[in-house]
Amino acid sequence: MSRPLALRHEAASIDAALTLRGRSVVLDRDGRRFEATFAREGSWIDVRSGDRTERCAVARSGRGVWVALAGTTWFFEIEHREAGSRGASIAADEIRAPMTGRVVAVAAVPGAETREGDLLLTIEAMKMEFKLTAPENGSVLEVMCAPGDRVELGQLLVRLKPDSDGGAT
Amino acid sequence: MSAARADLARPGVAAAAGVAGTPRSFRKVLVANRGEIAVRVCRTLQAMSLPSVAVFSDADRGAPHVRAAVEAVRIGPAAPADSYLNIAAILEAARATGADAIHPGYGFLSQSAPFVRACGEAGVTFIGPSAEAMERLGDKESSRRAAVRCGVPVIPGAEDVPDAARARAEAARIGFPVLLKAAGGGGGRGMRRVDSADALPDAFESARREAMASFGNGRIFVEKLIHPARHVEIQILGDGKDAIALGERECSLQRRYQKVIEESPSTAVTAAVRGAMERAAVALARDAGYAGAATVEFLLGPDGSFYFLEVNTRLQVEHPVTEMRFGLDLVRAQIEIAAGGRLPQPSAPRGHAIEARLNAEDPYHGYLPQSGTILLLDWPKGEGIRVDAGIAAGQTIQTHYDSLLAKIVAHGATREEARARLRTALAGLALLGVRTNQRFLLELLADDAFASGGTYTHTLESRSWPAPEGIPDEALVAAGILLFMPREAVAGERDDADRFSPWLSLGAWGRPGAAAGAAARGSAS
Repeated sequence: MSRPLALRHEAASIDAALTLRGRSVVLDRDGRRFEATFAREGSWIDVRSGDRTERCAVARSGRGVWVALAGTTWFFEIEHREAGSRGASIAADEIRAPMTGRVVAVAAVPGAETREGDLLLTIEAMKMEFKLTAPENGSVLEVMCAPGDRVELGQLLVRLKPDSDGGAT
Repeated sequence: MSAARADLARPGVAAAAGVAGTPRSFRKVLVANRGEIAVRVCRTLQAMSLPSVAVFSDADRGAPHVRAAVEAVRIGPAAPADSYLNIAAILEAARATGADAIHPGYGFLSQSAPFVRACGEAGVTFIGPSAEAMERLGDKESSRRAAVRCGVPVIPGAEDVPDAARARAEAARIGFPVLLKAAGGGGGRGMRRVDSADALPDAFESARREAMASFGNGRIFVEKLIHPARHVEIQILGDGKDAIALGERECSLQRRYQKVIEESPSTAVTAAVRGAMERAAVALARDAGYAGAATVEFLLGPDGSFYFLEVNTRLQVEHPVTEMRFGLDLVRAQIEIAAGGRLPQPSAPRGHAIEARLNAEDPYHGYLPQSGTILLLDWPKGEGIRVDAGIAAGQTIQTHYDSLLAKIVAHGATREEARARLRTALAGLALLGVRTNQRFLLELLADDAFASGGTYTHTLESRSWPAPEGIPDEALVAAGILLFMPREAVAGERDDADRFSPWLSLGAWGRPGAAAGAAARGSAS
């Protein structure tokens, strides 16, 4: 099953798709195909292609993924593409703080159904408000913050159960 | 090479051997600093079986330096003026914990004569020079006069220039380009390069404003600009009467007068130049009756002539490169000297050491300071590698203080071996959650200018260093695996945070060959 990898690195959109089967992985990117096997141990992923193995460190933060490889570190922001596009909703089950700030309002209620675009909560930082919305249809599993809470960048705030479990193919 | 150094060092050692009596020991030492240097000082205190006290601001609750000490005391809000520069709060912390000595680290109060005097009045030993010696060598003008008195070459220039017109006249006499410098300054603030008489008035006023804002002292002096120049400095230790020199460090790779990579020995320093620099540095320390560690900075011109720049009356950030070559713990030496002990007898320096400063800054986007929470941290290990760090996984890096996160230092039998080890170490370092200059350090170490030893104070800023392009397929594959299989990763991150221990990552020093020992212990843990 090939899944779109809708990521952004700084100003550039990355258009790629990933197929995972057991320990095999295929990356389709810019009309090229990269085939590899991988081994994973917690935050470390070894990617082997031919006789070359690269060891990557990975970590999830609110808006994306950090990857370090051979002394270079990238932050890939998850790109929430236009509704109807094929690249939406990666890891849609975790809503994390996009910045350090204060929760000013919580709309999400555990157990409630949500539709894509529904307001979940509002965070304020540097006198600006950010509204966090549901990335797709589903239901609220857990709300992990309350109005007035100070939250750190990347902190898990709400867990959702998407209707279709990640199947944006 | 080493013969010249040994000849110079020997008289100092002989005199130190005459220090009478057994040195008293301190009961407890307070470390008036934060970050990597506070962790590093605590490490030596622990090795000396001396109880340690950390101080912390509200921004540093639970920080590694707090955990590195036996006790910790809150000294105020995040702003440095309210905490790490707050003399009353620090002395109160010493009184409350029964600390009878204070190690100031570098920066903050380490070069504050009023703090030294306040320590004396409070009956606490300041681990460093007397206030008088600090003022004599720490003030740029006074140290320049001392240099002239001691026969140390100084850069042609004029002191205490009152206005732009006078600066213009002096510059014409010296010859352009000239440098305007703040008398009370440091760290590049209040400094301006001026290439022509026309540009002088504006530069003078702006240097004076910056000096006034940064140091509360608007006095300016003007001097000849040496170009191309290398920054070479001599480490010294004094006991109030005598002093010894511990070779040089070259720190030419700088940006806005902030050092990025430092090494010892310098590729440009001959035995004759080293001997002359060491004699000059020791003469200055003796002249001032200096006790403790200090660094005498010089500019080395293309013809091998060198000029006195300034004295830093404290431990330097880059002191590990000297420690690794001489098998000596400089913090321990500072503490022993402050307790009335002898100057150490260093062994002959061995091999080559290079230090890289890991900063929370983005060199590819205007060096903007970076903040964020460290999600994953894995230090490199290996033969000859030492990591001095003040950070831990889970810690939130804020921008209240300077951006230095850690120093990665490599020692090798040769410069090439040290360079290769440092590159391997930096390539193996993983820090996720905060942008750093890690890639840039690797680019610098790989660059022809550094590989060939052709480093000058303008090398870093006279070129552009573009961000590396292209994202390897493997990095995207790893990102995809994490996104599509997120559960495992969460567990993994937690493991990494728990595994972190500042002590395991610190490395060791104090003995010849300690670097290899540190690496062995690091990988065993």
